[in-house]
Amino acid sequence: MSENDFYTPTDLERLRMENELLSFEVRFLRSRLGWSGRGPGSSVSLNRLAHLEEAEQDLVLLVRRMASSPLGPFFRIKGEFRTLEERYVLSPETQDPYSPNRLAYLEEAEKDLLLLLRRMGTGPIGRLFRLKREFRTLEQRYL
Amino acid sequence: MGSTSTITDAGRPVFYAGRFADRVSDASLPEGCVVLDDWDVLPARLADVMEGASTLVVLDLFSFPFEALSGVQRDVPLIVALPAGFDTDFLTTVFGKAVFERLDFFDRVATADSGAWMSLRRRYGWAEGQSIRLGNGGPDEAAGEIWALLEAESAAPTFFGDGSYEAARYWSERGDALAESVPHRAICSVRHGPDFNKAMHRVQKAALEPQFAAAGGARAEDVPFDVLEVGVGIGRWAASFDLAKTRFFGVDISEGMVAAARANFPEGRFDRLEPDLRFPCDDESFDLVFSVTVMHHNPTPAKRTLLSEMWRVARPGGRLLFLEDFVVGRWSEKSTVYPMSVLEFVGLLLEATNWQVTLEHVESLRYPHDDMTRGGIIAVSKLGVPKRW
Repeated sequence: MSENDFYTPTDLERLRMENELLSFEVRFLRSRLGWSGRGPGSSVSLNRLAHLEEAEQDLVLLVRRMASSPLGPFFRIKGEFRTLEERYVLSPETQDPYSPNRLAYLEEAEKDLLLLLRRMGTGPIGRLFRLKREFRTLEQRYL
Repeated sequence: MGSTSTITDAGRPVFYAGRFADRVSDASLPEGCVVLDDWDVLPARLADVMEGASTLVVLDLFSFPFEALSGVQRDVPLIVALPAGFDTDFLTTVFGKAVFERLDFFDRVATADSGAWMSLRRRYGWAEGQSIRLGNGGPDEAAGEIWALLEAESAAPTFFGDGSYEAARYWSERGDALAESVPHRAICSVRHGPDFNKAMHRVQKAALEPQFAAAGGARAEDVPFDVLEVGVGIGRWAASFDLAKTRFFGVDISEGMVAAARANFPEGRFDRLEPDLRFPCDDESFDLVFSVTVMHHNPTPAKRTLLSEMWRVARPGGRLLFLEDFVVGRWSEKSTVYPMSVLEFVGLLLEATNWQVTLEHVESLRYPHDDMTRGGIIAVSKLGVPKRW
């Protein structure tokens, strides 16, 4: 391959303009996908992202608290709980905030939290949980 | 200011004669013309011949393997000669998907049957300028007529301006100079051949048409879609709209271009833009206002005026759409561009619209012949409450 086959820009001003154009496009795509709050036109995405981040944190705290409680071994009998613990406490996907999978991960976490809260709130055991102010807050916030 | 060239300067035309190869070979096509029979279109041979071709003329539509054209071969402008003696329903059934739907603004249809042309033009939204009217002779005579036309187009004087660049005067004179003889040379790049311009058009079309569709949105059948193109040229983007449901209006600084656009798309409405750049339209009259490679040819004061006007005539909720070169330099007084980076342009746009817009789409474009990303699309929607209901 000859040297001329390589991309060898010589015009720095054009290079700067190209860089600016590509960066602008990336900023736009990120804001549209909700990967980052930076950039114009991202206010809705930013709110959504903040909500999802909060849901994920609440889920992690909730699962951790359940696992470390005296009822932890009892909860672990259930495969679903072990999955949640594995996914969010033991090996959480502490991802780069700009990772392309970040949004999908957060949405999955929100869905898991809703399912967990619904499940905890039904049946006679739900009344016990509701004695706890923190549980009532979570229910109010997400259900 | 003007210059002429010969047909071989821009590459040679390739004639696919198929079953008529004997007759076409006997016709008086000049040297340098390539004539193919139906054995010459096996992939390897076709690829060899298509390299450096300026135009592919298909005289035997029934036997040409269109599916064998791939990659850059599709950027070679096509001229397809309609087979005589078949009605349009038959032609549409046989060639609709494989050929007609794929024809682009830089492709043309040659036929002696004006009724068939009119019917197909309406069905596929072609421009009147894509038609080549043939006599009633056979394929050999058709080949000769098409050759003569290509030769005349190559020999037609083109336009490069006469020195320093002044946007309004240059585009007005250039449009008027090219409108009669070679209107297709007035769009994209006048310095390059039709295959270069078809390739540019292909990239632009792939990026623009989804934006046109997004701007049209889901509207009821009886609600017309009002569209304004600024710098409409010969009206090539009108072909991207269903003109039965769209009220397409185009303005251009060149009277010649406006006349060519009217001839190309009689269903549209086209008007001359006066030197003060004020649009002859009421406030809030259009759902989509767009320009393609117009802004970067104008100095900043003209850009401001055009942006303000585009903003004025767009309806609240409507869209403004721009396809421009954001990576370009100005090397001399003769250069026809006023460079603007994307952020400089966005700054002007926000200023002209008083920040009353939301960003809908950003997309960079790289043309096949470029080593850098050059173009970009920016779409914004207009915020606000309509002045009248």
